[in-house]
Amino acid sequence: MSHPRRPGNRKNVKKGFQFTLMVVGASGLGRTTFINTLCDAEVVPKRECEEPEMAHIEEGIKIKPYTVELDEDGVKISLTVVDTPGFGDMIDNEYCFQEILGYLEQQYDDILSEESRIKRNRRFRDNRVHALLYFIAPTGHSLREIDIELMSRLSPRINIIPVIGKSDSLTPGELADFKKRVMEDIAHHKIPIYNFPYDPEEDDDETVEENSELRSLLPFALIGCEEEVTVDGRKVRGRQYPWGVVEVDNPQHCDFVKLRYALLSSHFQDLKEITHDYLYENYRTEKLSRSTDSASDNDSGEEDEHSRLKEEQMKKEEGKLKEIEDRVQRELKEKQQELWTKEQQLMSLEAAQVQVQ
Amino acid sequence: MVSTQAGAGIGIANLPNQRHAIASKKGSNYTILLCGESGLGKTTFINTLFTTTIKTPKTYKRRFNNTAEKTVEIEIIRAELEEKQFGVKLSVVDTPGFGDYTNNRDSWMPIIDFIDDQHESYMRQDQQPERLELSDMRVHCCLYFIRPTGHTLKPLDIEVMKRLGTRVNLIPVIAKADTLTPTDLHKFKKRILEVIAAQNIQCYTFPLESDDEASTKRNMNIMAAMPFSVIGSTDDVQTVDGRTVKGRQYSWGVAEVENEDHCDFKKLRQLLIRTHMLDLIHSTEETHYETYRRAQMETRKIGEAKVKTVTNPKWKEEEEALRKRFTEQVRLEENRFRSWEQQLIAERDRLNKDLEAEHSHIKALESELESMQVGLSPKQRK
Repeated sequence: MSHPRRPGNRKNVKKGFQFTLMVVGASGLGRTTFINTLCDAEVVPKRECEEPEMAHIEEGIKIKPYTVELDEDGVKISLTVVDTPGFGDMIDNEYCFQEILGYLEQQYDDILSEESRIKRNRRFRDNRVHALLYFIAPTGHSLREIDIELMSRLSPRINIIPVIGKSDSLTPGELADFKKRVMEDIAHHKIPIYNFPYDPEEDDDETVEENSELRSLLPFALIGCEEEVTVDGRKVRGRQYPWGVVEVDNPQHCDFVKLRYALLSSHFQDLKEITHDYLYENYRTEKLSRSTDSASDNDSGEEDEHSRLKEEQMKKEEGKLKEIEDRVQRELKEKQQELWTKEQQLMSLEAAQVQVQ
Repeated sequence: MVSTQAGAGIGIANLPNQRHAIASKKGSNYTILLCGESGLGKTTFINTLFTTTIKTPKTYKRRFNNTAEKTVEIEIIRAELEEKQFGVKLSVVDTPGFGDYTNNRDSWMPIIDFIDDQHESYMRQDQQPERLELSDMRVHCCLYFIRPTGHTLKPLDIEVMKRLGTRVNLIPVIAKADTLTPTDLHKFKKRILEVIAAQNIQCYTFPLESDDEASTKRNMNIMAAMPFSVIGSTDDVQTVDGRTVKGRQYSWGVAEVENEDHCDFKKLRQLLIRTHMLDLIHSTEETHYETYRRAQMETRKIGEAKVKTVTNPKWKEEEEALRKRFTEQVRLEENRFRSWEQQLIAERDRLNKDLEAEHSHIKALESELESMQVGLSPKQRK
């Protein structure tokens, strides 16, 4: 379907691909460790705990991008990871969603304005985020309100892949139940996540199988670890508990390996395409139609203004005419009165004359 | 002072035994409050602690129905436990909805109100003329479940714990501790203790010194383990070396509940039940209740009702509904009166008109009469 290593495409391979990934989740779910495990290096420094006296102060959400160069089987990938520390940590988290949404839309706006320029900048860096990994807390129950809110609000703008952080707190039975319930919740609230889409008729069997397998693993159970421990003589990346060692790269312990492969090798092209052809196009359409709507509103407003002015003028003139009319009538009446009194006088004079005669 | 020496005493020393007989017949009340976000293993913990299903696990079938109400509820589960003919009336108070929403501001109010209400209720019962059958639901201990982030306490945790610590015996507990490696756990505990000290949160402490050395040592052990890391499980699993224990079975091993290397469950159980249950009950009655009573007595007279400062959103809705109904009723009555008034006015106008008509009729007759008289008199004159 979409494999970056097309034979003969050596120019691309040499230049490398660019991929931007955002990681969102409450603190303490293994976000930072995951990023470092994914890149196999300490990309994001460990969180420095603030002073105990300041622990009650709520810091807002921060958005921090880090860029790292990876080499996947000879293919160079310039990976930008955007971390979001502070999400969900406050008492009131209503503000967090807007921050992240604002960042995503900002990237789209930049591309939009760049595209509309007369002379485009060839070195323009595309900072659009291609995928968002949302870390769900391993409660073992179902999705919480903040999870549903975030995924609903951000899914129109970005591919969301839900993952379970610190999944080593769930036994295999509990994990399977939890995954099932999370997917039920997502279906119930009609949240459009990235679920490795495939077409059973168009795509070949291998692609269908690959994608349906990845789909069945959703949400991915993740464990992150940067240290190495020794198990049975081999050195592995894992967490040492008194009761055993959890291995990060063991597909039976967690889904890290599969997710890494999907993100960096098999599906990142698909994610980029969906971001550009579908999500960005939708945003563009919405934004442009919003601005034209407001423009036409302005025009009709002007017309209204015009007609209103005219009406007002007419009213004024009508008023004036009426005034003149009233005045004329009054004068007429006065004159009539005068005439009448004069007539009376004349008549009385006449009568007097007649009497004298 | 007269003192009786050992040997053939008169039996004063038998008083503790008599006390014991009375106490064991009466049984005891024990109320535990569980506070924390959902999914931290509170229900499992309680069931593990009392090795019986006190609270049934959550059902998921109805979770799609009720999404509108965003309130913190208080759920009380009562159980009667009996061991060797000693009975305990156990009440477990759960707080579903706490910390689960996007906006959790003031979500601790229902919990604080509940604790205060129990003190209040006991106080008022105590002031009644008849005070034999007192129902005592004062909270003896509050377990606050902390999410095992490995970093530090969240602002929400700090806010709530500050308020809880001054009203009830607060015991912080690190939930689902099988997520943290021993080094992570150690760092996390140290961090939490630092924050608790810096933020002046009052946690439960008890006297360490005791009669015998073993108890003192045990007490110190228990205190040193605060906040307690817990793993809860009611299932029996097989370990690698063939033992059957209560624990959680992972692909990489079995985390055991009662293994002191794995978690502090045993120490917490000791604290809650075996050794310090009485101290918890007493300190609630003596310290916390007295503090509340003192504060209330200073400002209120006996028999006066408590001033309610905050409204629970749930009650607010009902209050709104009642108020609406009330204004509706008042409006209807007013309308009725108005229309009645209008009717009366219309009646009056009608009668007035009739009266006027009669008047004018009379006048007409009068003037007719006059004209007839006038007509008569000139004739008479001629």
